[in-house]
Amino acid sequence: MIAYKFLRPGCIAPYTGFRWPVGEWVDAAGVDACREGIHACSVRHLPIWLGPELWEIELDGEIVEHSRKLVAPRGRLVRRIEGWNDGLIRDFGRACVKRTRERVGFLPVISGYVFDADRLAGLGRVPLAAFAAARAAEWCDGPAGYEEERRLQAVWLAERLGLGPFDWA
Amino acid sequence: MRLERELACQEVVELVTAYLEDSLSPEDRERFEEHLVFCDGCQNYLAQMRDTIAATGRVPPGALPAGLEERLLEAFRGWRAS
Repeated sequence: MIAYKFLRPGCIAPYTGFRWPVGEWVDAAGVDACREGIHACSVRHLPIWLGPELWEIELDGEIVEHSRKLVAPRGRLVRRIEGWNDGLIRDFGRACVKRTRERVGFLPVISGYVFDADRLAGLGRVPLAAFAAARAAEWCDGPAGYEEERRLQAVWLAERLGLGPFDWA
Repeated sequence: MRLERELACQEVVELVTAYLEDSLSPEDRERFEEHLVFCDGCQNYLAQMRDTIAATGRVPPGALPAGLEERLLEAFRGWRAS
């Protein structure tokens, strides 16, 4: 199964510090979400786990899908998705700001999120701008609004990066 | 309004030791890590904690003077309850 993984510069896993080899299978001791296993994203999970490098990863074995991640017993990095670069990250931030402006820009108080998202995106803090966009949507439409904004972010990423399949349930 | 799954920075700081000791539930660990994605401050705090642990190593229980461990635990219990 092809999935995706955000890493820090140099193929470093953000939480464990593991330096991923490219093209080599990595086996985990077990599959236990957030503890053991190869953790990765399907397209719909991407906006939650944004990071500096985006890689395509092949997962093998019994893959467990959680609401916000995939966990597998083994995986290997296949290729870096070069389209996820500074320019696209900036564009992604701007798209989040634009949707937020359209969604809540006319509403008293909540419209402050437009300023927040805009400022954060301008500072390059795009993951936080995306989160602010989702929070604004939640203020506007409840928890479903949060999920819908995250879905739109995933759609945007899938289209711009040519990722698929888009498996939003 | 705050999402049920969303952690505030203060909560992340309170949980950082449990995170490093791998004693959080999978759900809390996920919420913790999700917070780190967008919070530079907590990322830095976690990195500083890791650096501190790496620099100082561990204090084996036997290194504590007699009675000190119990007094410390009592103090921590009182702190948690206050």
